Amino acid sequence: MARKQFDITRRNLLASGAAVSAAAIAGCIGGENGETDDGADDADPGGNGDSAVFHFTQEQSRAEDFDPVIANDAYSAQVYGLVFDGLYEWGEGLELEPKVATGEPDVEDDGRRFMFEIHEGIEFHNGDELTASDVAHSFLAPVEEETENAASYDMIESAEPIDDYQLEVNLEEPYGPFELQTMAVTISPEEARTDDRDAFNTDPIGSGPYTFEDFSENEYVELERWDDYWDDEMEEPNIESVTFVAHDDDAGRISDIRAGETDAIAGIPNDDWDVLEGEDNVEVHRAESPSYMYLAFNCNEGGTTDPDVRRAIAHSFDMESFVNEHAEHTADPMTNPIPPTVNEVWGFPEDEYGEMLPEYDPEEAEALLDESDAVDDDWEPIIITPEGIRASLAERIATRLGEIGYGAEVNVLDFGQLVETYNTGDADDYEMYLLGWTGGPDPDFYLYSLFHESQAGVNQGHFYEGSDGFHDAIAEGRTTADQDERYEIYEPVIEEIVEELPALAAFTQHNTMASGDHVEGLEVHPNVQTNPNLISYHTNVSLQ
Amino acid sequence: MGLLRYTIYRLIQTIPVLIGISIITFLLANLGPGDPVRLMLQGVEHDEEMIRTIEQRYGLDRPLHERYITYMAGVVQGDLGHSIHRNRSVSDLVLHRAGPTLFLVLSAYAFALATAIPLGIIAAKRRNEPTDHVSRIVALIGVSTPSFWIGIMLILIFAVTLGVLPSSGLVYPWRPPDSYGYSNHLELWYHSLRYLLLPMIALGTLQMATLMRVERTQMIESLQGEYVKLARAYGVPERTILRKHAFQVAQLPIITIVGLNLSTAIGGAVLIEMVFNINGMGRLFIEAIAQNDYQVVMGLTMVLGTLFVIGVVITDIAYAYIDPRVTYGEEE
Repeated sequence: MARKQFDITRRNLLASGAAVSAAAIAGCIGGENGETDDGADDADPGGNGDSAVFHFTQEQSRAEDFDPVIANDAYSAQVYGLVFDGLYEWGEGLELEPKVATGEPDVEDDGRRFMFEIHEGIEFHNGDELTASDVAHSFLAPVEEETENAASYDMIESAEPIDDYQLEVNLEEPYGPFELQTMAVTISPEEARTDDRDAFNTDPIGSGPYTFEDFSENEYVELERWDDYWDDEMEEPNIESVTFVAHDDDAGRISDIRAGETDAIAGIPNDDWDVLEGEDNVEVHRAESPSYMYLAFNCNEGGTTDPDVRRAIAHSFDMESFVNEHAEHTADPMTNPIPPTVNEVWGFPEDEYGEMLPEYDPEEAEALLDESDAVDDDWEPIIITPEGIRASLAERIATRLGEIGYGAEVNVLDFGQLVETYNTGDADDYEMYLLGWTGGPDPDFYLYSLFHESQAGVNQGHFYEGSDGFHDAIAEGRTTADQDERYEIYEPVIEEIVEELPALAAFTQHNTMASGDHVEGLEVHPNVQTNPNLISYHTNVSLQ
Repeated sequence: MGLLRYTIYRLIQTIPVLIGISIITFLLANLGPGDPVRLMLQGVEHDEEMIRTIEQRYGLDRPLHERYITYMAGVVQGDLGHSIHRNRSVSDLVLHRAGPTLFLVLSAYAFALATAIPLGIIAAKRRNEPTDHVSRIVALIGVSTPSFWIGIMLILIFAVTLGVLPSSGLVYPWRPPDSYGYSNHLELWYHSLRYLLLPMIALGTLQMATLMRVERTQMIESLQGEYVKLARAYGVPERTILRKHAFQVAQLPIITIVGLNLSTAIGGAVLIEMVFNINGMGRLFIEAIAQNDYQVVMGLTMVLGTLFVIGVVITDIAYAYIDPRVTYGEEE
């Protein structure tokens, strides 16, 4: 019996082997001349077979939350950004333009009350009209439902519709970033959303230029152009259908665009920039982003509590040459915690900060360390860092410190371990750490989250005490909406950070994309969630 | 002990093994460094209160033993927990991802068996001839080259340079053709094969090389056996000797290797899925580790551990079934 079974298995095995071999040969022969999958729709893993279908490869997997109330990952936001409208939306840069709102809000009660008027006749994709009550729901739901986005809206005391097209929003206190960020709330239909939140999260209904058509978890999302889109001031999108896939592997993404498997990819590693730029049928794009990479010092314990030691570290290596060597195409050095693209709106004196920063001077670094009572002659601080370019920077600092008779121990941690370690304040865990922060167009995102004492042990681990009034000024900056007034409050704070160096600004990373040369009009937006920026008042991407 | 009783006995033996896997995995996932809640909130303004609220929501504030008991109570009912990062049932996530991984791994095995066995036989039959030398060199390269590197090279050659095969993704043959925009099943299968070819070869090469080396050695041993000499002396045709007498006996170690290499193949699939952007369990595993999504890590480890244990049991049973010399545990 056993022998018979075995014979049958063997024959089947050989037969199936032959079939696989034959089919493999057929497959090889069949795909010649770069044939793509004509006729395949957007669900096809491949790309550019259809001139009206835009295939976009994201650089990281989505969390697959498409309900704006609960979603807090940039890659899901890239998808739902085309499905929903914002009350206000980002323009070509980091400035907000009215979208569902008819214009700027009327601000009353010393910046505590905002009166919004919205367009009439806006319809969600299910036919329901978008009213002020939907806007109110969108403002309030993150806090009421305790979602991870709650902190972005918890300054709102109430949001009440006056009628279908007018809304009154009251804040507990004046909140500076409200007009620059919070008003960019994405509008969800209250009834459809609250009817079945789980269903809404994976099959969202918005009022935007594209409808959510098809979705296979962590494979693809397919959007279709909404032909009845309400906004007549905007052109009809040239792209009929958009497919989002994600490819986390850098080399894989580069292969995809070079092989013509996709119309555009996001996230070009610096080392691949020249390769793609040299390709005949590929174009590379970049835009500054509001990102801030920094080297923070433990001001709570250890040698780095001495400001001269921190200055010595800054003197010991050349940040500019490091950035040019490792991220020439994808990053720029920074002088202060406000990213250059944010500073375009605010105009802080970047050049002056640059002059204040300790320049590369190893002799001065050595002298400062020798003179400091806070460190021994054989001082070797611990630098904790995630992998990648920041680990390379940590190694560079350790090498330079080694050259002047000191050194550093670089601990490259996985991100999970890092976020648990960098805010303990314990010098045995770290004396320096390298991290980054991508915020919005307001200095508050960088100053409050990364320097205010309330965030010590939560979002920051330098525990910098600051001068009298340092933390009060950061807190005061968010309680007024007047930009000039806020400039005056923030400017000394930034200057103190540059002078005392609780954190040394390292570099700002760019948003990068590559597209096939058949893609026209594609520009990278500084706000990563707004990419791919296929349709707006300023752009209308097409495929040739 | 009969075969049925032996099978039941082996299956019962797997229970403590699986409990052991669950305890080790649970402890590693929960006591290891990294806080999933802090990681989830990284980059978002938050405070300690928000951290506590989320910990409470997912039961992370409860003692470890309580969490383990709750977790295991769910596991026996098919509930592998809830992913913190993805806000989804882990069972659903794993089920969704199992198809692509099994499709890839089984295809790679099919490729490995279909190529290794004939090549191993030819190499053994032509021992120390040029064909044998070439096959041994190929096997040596196959065994020593990481599968992800083979994958990247295949992409560069066949997708980027020649442009004859796709560089990433898979077309699943079990889906309706119209979900990909294909008009019929033939077109679906054709594209499915085109997308499968490169990852299948990349993953199957190591298995192929391993199997080929074993097949060659076993066939050489078989061909030198007394029973083969006797068969030759009786004038049995060489083809029949090869097919019936030598080949059959030589396959037992292959069965063992196929069963035990399942874990290697799934391990290889993790990397291949990343390189070829295939949404299988391997890619989910990598993402879950990076996100400290410990429920997903545990769920996947349980599933993969169970698959491995089942693979071993099936190998044992198949071995016992095929080889009459294997005893079922009765007195020796």
